[in-house]
Amino acid sequence: MHEISLLVNGKSYPVSVAPDELLVDVLRQRLGLTGTKKGCGSGDCGACTVIMAGRPVNACLVLAIAAAEKPITTVEGLAEATRLDPLQQSFIDHGAVQCGYCTPGLLMMAKALLEEVPHPTENQVRTAIAGNLCRCTGYSKIVRAILAAAEQVGGEG
Amino acid sequence: MRGYEAVGRSIPRGEGTVKVTGAAVYSSDLFRAGMLYGRILFSDRPRARLVKIDASRALSLPGVAAVITGADAPEVRFGVYLRDRLIFAKDEVRCIGEPVAAIAASSQALVDRALELIAVEYEDLPPLLTLEDALSPHAPLLHPGLATYSAIYPYIRHGNVCMETWISQGDVEGAFAAADRIFEGHYTTAAVHQAPIEPHACLADFDATGKLTVWTSTQQLSICHSELAAALGVPLTEVRVIPVWLGGGFGGKLKSQLEPICALLARAARRPVKLELTREEEFTATHGRAPYRFHLRSAARNDGTLLAKEVDILVDAGPYSDHTIGTALHACTISQGPYHIPNCRAHARVVYTNNPDWGCMRGYGAHEMAFATEAHMDVIAAGLGIDPADLRLQNLCREGDVIVSTQQLRSVHIRETMEAALAASGYRGKKGQMGPHRGIGIANLIHGTGFLPSSASVRVNEDGTVTVLTAVTDIGTGTYTAFRQIVAEVLGLDVDRVRVASPDSESSPYDTGSIGSRTIYDGGNAVRLAAESVRDQLTSVVAQALGCPAGEIELAGGRVGSATRPAMSLGFEEANSIALFTGRGPLIGSGSWLAAGAFPQAVGEGYGAGPLGTFLFGTHVAEVEVDPETGQTQVLRYTACHDAGTVINPIGIEGQIEGGVAQGIGSALFEESQVIAGRILNANFADYRLPTALDVPEITVACVQEPDPTGPFGAKGIGETPIMAVAPAIANAILDATGVAACTIPITPERLYLALRGAEAGRQAAPPREPLPSPGSTCQNRG
Repeated sequence: MHEISLLVNGKSYPVSVAPDELLVDVLRQRLGLTGTKKGCGSGDCGACTVIMAGRPVNACLVLAIAAAEKPITTVEGLAEATRLDPLQQSFIDHGAVQCGYCTPGLLMMAKALLEEVPHPTENQVRTAIAGNLCRCTGYSKIVRAILAAAEQVGGEG
Repeated sequence: MRGYEAVGRSIPRGEGTVKVTGAAVYSSDLFRAGMLYGRILFSDRPRARLVKIDASRALSLPGVAAVITGADAPEVRFGVYLRDRLIFAKDEVRCIGEPVAAIAASSQALVDRALELIAVEYEDLPPLLTLEDALSPHAPLLHPGLATYSAIYPYIRHGNVCMETWISQGDVEGAFAAADRIFEGHYTTAAVHQAPIEPHACLADFDATGKLTVWTSTQQLSICHSELAAALGVPLTEVRVIPVWLGGGFGGKLKSQLEPICALLARAARRPVKLELTREEEFTATHGRAPYRFHLRSAARNDGTLLAKEVDILVDAGPYSDHTIGTALHACTISQGPYHIPNCRAHARVVYTNNPDWGCMRGYGAHEMAFATEAHMDVIAAGLGIDPADLRLQNLCREGDVIVSTQQLRSVHIRETMEAALAASGYRGKKGQMGPHRGIGIANLIHGTGFLPSSASVRVNEDGTVTVLTAVTDIGTGTYTAFRQIVAEVLGLDVDRVRVASPDSESSPYDTGSIGSRTIYDGGNAVRLAAESVRDQLTSVVAQALGCPAGEIELAGGRVGSATRPAMSLGFEEANSIALFTGRGPLIGSGSWLAAGAFPQAVGEGYGAGPLGTFLFGTHVAEVEVDPETGQTQVLRYTACHDAGTVINPIGIEGQIEGGVAQGIGSALFEESQVIAGRILNANFADYRLPTALDVPEITVACVQEPDPTGPFGAKGIGETPIMAVAPAIANAILDATGVAACTIPITPERLYLALRGAEAGRQAAPPREPLPSPGSTCQNRG
């Protein structure tokens, strides 16, 4: 077992992990952060997307020990207290959420996109989320929600 | 029609906040003190005698708490239409993915390791892997006890056929003899998986008194509850099922699934057990859409009048019937499509094989049937030299038509959806003008809903807020938001004052569940009736309190009182308080709903499909571009027009339609569970490709709002219908673009490429490996 420290949503969590333990499992099972979902375990569905050191990653493809000391944001870290992130509010307002299982991963992918490209085109949005599978919505409302949030954040800044 | 306050407004879903913050709890998110992790050992043989299961090595690992097999499970047979399944295989395994044993251990890593230590001795038997093999008179019987199984209807069964039915009306032979032209086609639809992003999971725990609680994601709380009690042989009061948020259903989370095994494991281990499928298990051991084969014959006059239609349906059920019998019956019911055809016949057989254990998916036979019917319509149109839209318009079904199943069509608005789709898509200006390798295609759909019981309660709380109790689970479709709107409309309240209680088998009144496009129509009617009961009780209380005739009282704008004398009214909360403190409260209303309609008893032989409360219609138009070098099809634009009755929540119905179209694009172009030798080859998201944001174009959505007299505020529902016309609309657009009439879905690049090459060489594409109609080959036309 390895004693490491995970920096998640601005908090430091000392954990003891096996060398083959995955970040997604440690987040969900040890830290109780079950907002990050597991849909495939092979990096194909994007449900476990978190932002690590500024980049979106599939937490099911990251060993927990490789995530040590790197700043990680999960869906639980998006809102500030009860104030939702503009992306979260936009997802609700635009009907971009149905069953909600892919939603945390999509929100994190969108967050990472907007941090890098504050004013993406529709095609940039679609390309960015092409690795996040959603079986319910057909994506149109998700794309609109992300574009609207970008506009709002851009307008604020 | 008076305007509505709550109904018809776009209202974001109530549970949006918990879902965007990660706070919503799904079954895989559950953890419990002392919890064990379970796994199921699934058969890896398509057919074999089960000689011996030796779990001693697994049990010797410290931390392994229990192993159970068929010997530990009650011999209760399950099945929706025909009870042909045990919880675990006994004596014989009949497919890859059938549960053989289950194990519980103290950690996920340990249970994964221990699972591999269970030694199963099989004696392989020759499997039946094709319909031809299974139907052969020399085929071994997969279920020698078939005739003795109990069923909900005395289905005709013989050999490996677990259901055969014929229905007909009119003089089919006479019409074919008198026809100018006869058209014939063979069509095939693939096995497709629901592929919810959330794999199945549940958690089971017994308390000290032996009472079981199961947390799970289910589309059918009441059915799951009763199957669990039956599996344990205990009364319903000894089992409690608590549905948590469900991460995608689409027909994949019906009845009970993992729950009985999870409960038996927890009972054996005397600890809480959580069971979660891997993605590979999700693909191989749950019940995807069954593959269908169709043979269609149509008789027409040269002027385009359709005279007769004959449909023959073969379904590969896999080794257990699951929902396949129901899907085949529904396919027969709507086999003539939304068309006025006086002479029709449908024949269906559902066949046991040793292929994977198929079930049903969104569309329930109607999606499969719609592909065959609507692709066939374009072949007829081409043969007669009539525009496909005109051929359809000329033959549309009419209000009051009696279809081949003896159902009388009600609430028929197919002409409206066709006209809306033609206008919204610009079909007339585009047909024939799309340029090289581009095409436009149209397809219609018909579906029925309104079946089996629903019930609900509406309770007014002390502060005047309102709680709805229902066993309907909101599987992501926005049902609860729509229910809140219905109740708010009846009681004249803001939608925010109404909440739907978390479902729980101990308090939620019985409901058949979130299936078959029925929740708005059936569940919504039950909720409406319950709210109306509260309204009537409150009206009587206020009439008495104010000395106002009850007939004058209305509930609107949060007030209860005279519609004509503003002084004679009370706030809703105050009126409720009067009821509560004068011994007439708490106000609780109940509603029960069962769609009217005679059970069609005397329709042909072995039919036994239930009544339908209403019919749903729609028209889709697809525009595609085909790359002739690769066979790749890109959907450029898409138009979906639906007749769903009154729309309760526009943003919700748009989401249903857009999502259904996306799933339809997958089914049309690439989704298929590929099976060889009984084994699914592509049991992961890399090889089984789902539509991504790059595959789905912007979709133009329109609803023709024609209120249904029997629906809640005129609503009929949406649910499955958006997926149904997609594959044929795309196939017909490909026909327009390339001249190739696809008769197999998915129309993969490989299939289309081969068909294009075949067409170029002036011959048909190479014959298929399997004895199924050639993928992408042109349909046989005779006329």
